[in-house]
Amino acid sequence: MNGGNLEMKVSLFITCLADVFYSNVGKHTVELLEKLGCVVDFPEQQTCCGQPAFNSGYHKETKEVAKHMIRTFENSDYVVGPSGSCVAMLREYGHLFENEPEWKEKAEKLAKKSFELTQFIVEVLKIENVNASIPACATYHKSCHMTRLLGVKNAPGKLLDNVEGLDVKPLPNSHDCCGFGGTFSVKMVPISEQMVDEKVKHIEETGAEVLIGADCGCLMNIGGRINRKGKPIKVMHIAEVLNSEVK
Amino acid sequence: MAEGQIHNRDSFLSTVAAKLGRERRTSVAKPQWTTTPQYDVLKDATQDELVEVLKKHCEVIHTQFIETNTKELPQKIREVFKQYEVGSIVTWKDERHKEFGLEEGLLDKLSEEKMDVHIWDPVLKEKNIEAAEKADVGITFSDITLAESGTVVLFSSENKGRSVSLLPKTYIAIVPKSTLVPRMTQATAYINKQVQAGKSISSCIDFITGPSNSADIELNLIVGVHGPIKATYILVEDK
Amino acid sequence: MAMKISDEKFFERVDKGVNNTFMRNAVVSAQERMQGKRLAAAEELGNWEEWRKLGEEIRTHTLQNLDYYLEQLSENVKKRGGHVFFASTKEEANEYITKVAKEKQAKKVVKSKSMVTEEIHLNSALEKAGCEVIETDLGEYILQLDDHDPPSHIVVPALHKNKEQIRDTFKEKRGYDKSEIPEELALFAREQLRQEFLSADLGITGCNFAVAESGSISLVTNEGNAGLVTALPKTQITVMGMERIVPTWEELDILVSLLCRSSVGQKLTSYITGLTGPKDEDDVDGPEEFHLVIVDNGRSNILGTEFQSALHCIRCAACVNVCPVYRHIGGHSYGSIYAGPIGAVLTPLLGGYEDYKELPYASSLCAACTDACPVKIPLHELLIKHRRKIVEDEKKSPFGEKLAMKGYQLAASSPSIYKAGTKSASSVMAPFTQSNSIQKGPGPMKPWTDVRDFPAPNKERFRDWYKKREKGGE
Repeated sequence: MNGGNLEMKVSLFITCLADVFYSNVGKHTVELLEKLGCVVDFPEQQTCCGQPAFNSGYHKETKEVAKHMIRTFENSDYVVGPSGSCVAMLREYGHLFENEPEWKEKAEKLAKKSFELTQFIVEVLKIENVNASIPACATYHKSCHMTRLLGVKNAPGKLLDNVEGLDVKPLPNSHDCCGFGGTFSVKMVPISEQMVDEKVKHIEETGAEVLIGADCGCLMNIGGRINRKGKPIKVMHIAEVLNSEVK
Repeated sequence: MAEGQIHNRDSFLSTVAAKLGRERRTSVAKPQWTTTPQYDVLKDATQDELVEVLKKHCEVIHTQFIETNTKELPQKIREVFKQYEVGSIVTWKDERHKEFGLEEGLLDKLSEEKMDVHIWDPVLKEKNIEAAEKADVGITFSDITLAESGTVVLFSSENKGRSVSLLPKTYIAIVPKSTLVPRMTQATAYINKQVQAGKSISSCIDFITGPSNSADIELNLIVGVHGPIKATYILVEDK
Repeated sequence: MAMKISDEKFFERVDKGVNNTFMRNAVVSAQERMQGKRLAAAEELGNWEEWRKLGEEIRTHTLQNLDYYLEQLSENVKKRGGHVFFASTKEEANEYITKVAKEKQAKKVVKSKSMVTEEIHLNSALEKAGCEVIETDLGEYILQLDDHDPPSHIVVPALHKNKEQIRDTFKEKRGYDKSEIPEELALFAREQLRQEFLSADLGITGCNFAVAESGSISLVTNEGNAGLVTALPKTQITVMGMERIVPTWEELDILVSLLCRSSVGQKLTSYITGLTGPKDEDDVDGPEEFHLVIVDNGRSNILGTEFQSALHCIRCAACVNVCPVYRHIGGHSYGSIYAGPIGAVLTPLLGGYEDYKELPYASSLCAACTDACPVKIPLHELLIKHRRKIVEDEKKSPFGEKLAMKGYQLAASSPSIYKAGTKSASSVMAPFTQSNSIQKGPGPMKPWTDVRDFPAPNKERFRDWYKKREKGGE
């Protein structure tokens, strides 16, 4: 099952949301990467990618955070995180340092070696079957930043297709945003609410009992609405699905 | 033609240049664009293949498509007149009428049959427009025909009024097979060549694709708004 | 009407939009159809990304050399006997146009669709000067009759109206006595407007793209009204935003192709009319006099800034048709004639942040717009740039938020503060936590928990689990 013949040294980029609210996502990510033959370390100085400040227009503040994160991962071979938007943010650092060529270069180095989890497994490890197994009827929400900004369109689908027992129903209007958008979800509540309701409606239309996603922000948003509405849909991060085995 | 007047240009363009952080530019070389996908469309297609493309696309653009030759052309036109219940027609003054046997073969005969036939004549000035407004059908040749989009390109002149293809409720384009080109690219290349050669281009160049339509009411497609409500292209084997 | 269409506050407008069920259903239906058509049209071409790349190149080059091409355009219009008026402000534009109307003793004016003329509030200026102004684009005609209801979409302005409402408007304003069947409504509009075309003194158009090399302007319609507005009245005035220009007919081909496919999924619309100057001397139809009014109205302030690419817009509304925010709130919520993503970017640039400060934030930055734009304007990035400007240049962000962000910076760049802060999260949130979720969050969390549950911070953070594991305990 191990597609790699080198011991890939991977630094885990846990993301602040997973660190604090979804620690099981981190656990599954580490276990999965190790199963696939990687040697995983966790630079514990890491904090947050900086999106909350960047997307809100606080770029001076973002630069400080970015510098810290660049330093944190300076010696890593690979940086892998279970979130498309957070990794996309790491890759954005270069643009923050247009006027600081030294930092720009460091930022570009970081960008080259940073990957979202499924992207890493499929494009770097070249593995499409992780021998996972979980019987469930599910649907998959493809996060906007992962798909559009990071360009990861097919990796999750390929991996989920090979999970034994998993029936993934296509999600209607899958290209539509779930309404998270970071601070958008609290600044523009009336609009965010409509968007998440539409997403939940589409999820229900599939008849799935499980919603799978690859971004904790989206899952927090959709999951939070599902819980509030009392819908019988379980929310799982793709790391958990891919790390599952039939007991 | 007397030259027109220009107002406020210098201050306006100086502002533009200043905002762009430089002096005004008096010469600019247009770059070679790094990609030119437009030339790949229907590349190397034969005229016959272009006819097929045009024919197929007419279905999409609600345009009736008829194929014929010069011998049968007058008859085919008459059939469409019948279909459109035409009692009066307006058309251009066009030497192609003679070339395609439509002068004696059709227009003269129609006049004898007491159908209202108005041939655009600059001397008659506004009366031409009145005739076009009254006509049941406008009929013109296509100057250039774009296969990909099902478009007839019409170059206006004193003998080829804009109103002919615009005012009547129905429109017939006679499309000589030799006028077919793959797409708009070839037509604009032709116009560009004329301009570069210092020639004066028509004051109105119309790219017409089927009848008029609108989706402004509940996004329902309505065929036939301000321009013609029905359109027919009659493809003629020529040359 | 001007660019600004409402005096209501942003959240009031949003509330109205969200509760307008017909409009929302119409928008959902429109988006689905138009998205589908655009994607089909793009797929049919096969190498859509190449076309987009070329479109971006053309627009970038043109804007970088805008002064040159505008000069070339004006020289060529002049050579063909047309007049060119460069208008820095909307007042100048309106003054010139009303002067021409007065000189021509024009009483009746017919117009084809033009957003820039709405932006500069032209109709009102003409009406004050004693002209009757008639919109001839079917959607604009409907809105004009309906007491100047503002447009809610760049391409399909009357999208928010249903056919029953249109029938009632026609009945009330023009004595229409038939049904709400769209074909009958359209036929009525055709008959009414045909008379207007034939008797108008002045035709006013917008300009999809001017062609610098020949002094031509091009009009893209499906209805045929642009042809009628320019073939019949004796005087024609074309109003163009100064950025709506291409160097030669070669580039016109590309941009018209991108426009038609992106906006309505057609290879070409029914009428692309290329007009050069007034009619030739011996021509019968066409205007005897032609005026081109080139409008700045704030556009030059966008040149040379990080927002310059916003001027690349070809007004296809592809971004509007994919935007999930637009889908739920509708065009009027933007408070501007320019709605959707391009509206959120352009409106504050032309109208300032005072009236439009919410617009750049009314986006989840999903980037669907950037993906859809046929000339690759990085719309979502421009929204972030607006936010940065508001925070860092205009210094208009709320104090509480500034403080929070400073705190965030501190925590996220200092591991010890971060670790301490996250460690205490679970206990800090304990009073609000019930069965692992927070339903009534305090302070800044309240907007979230009004609508969604919030997960309780894990008692054991990931990093705690990892540390334990490293030490040997799994």
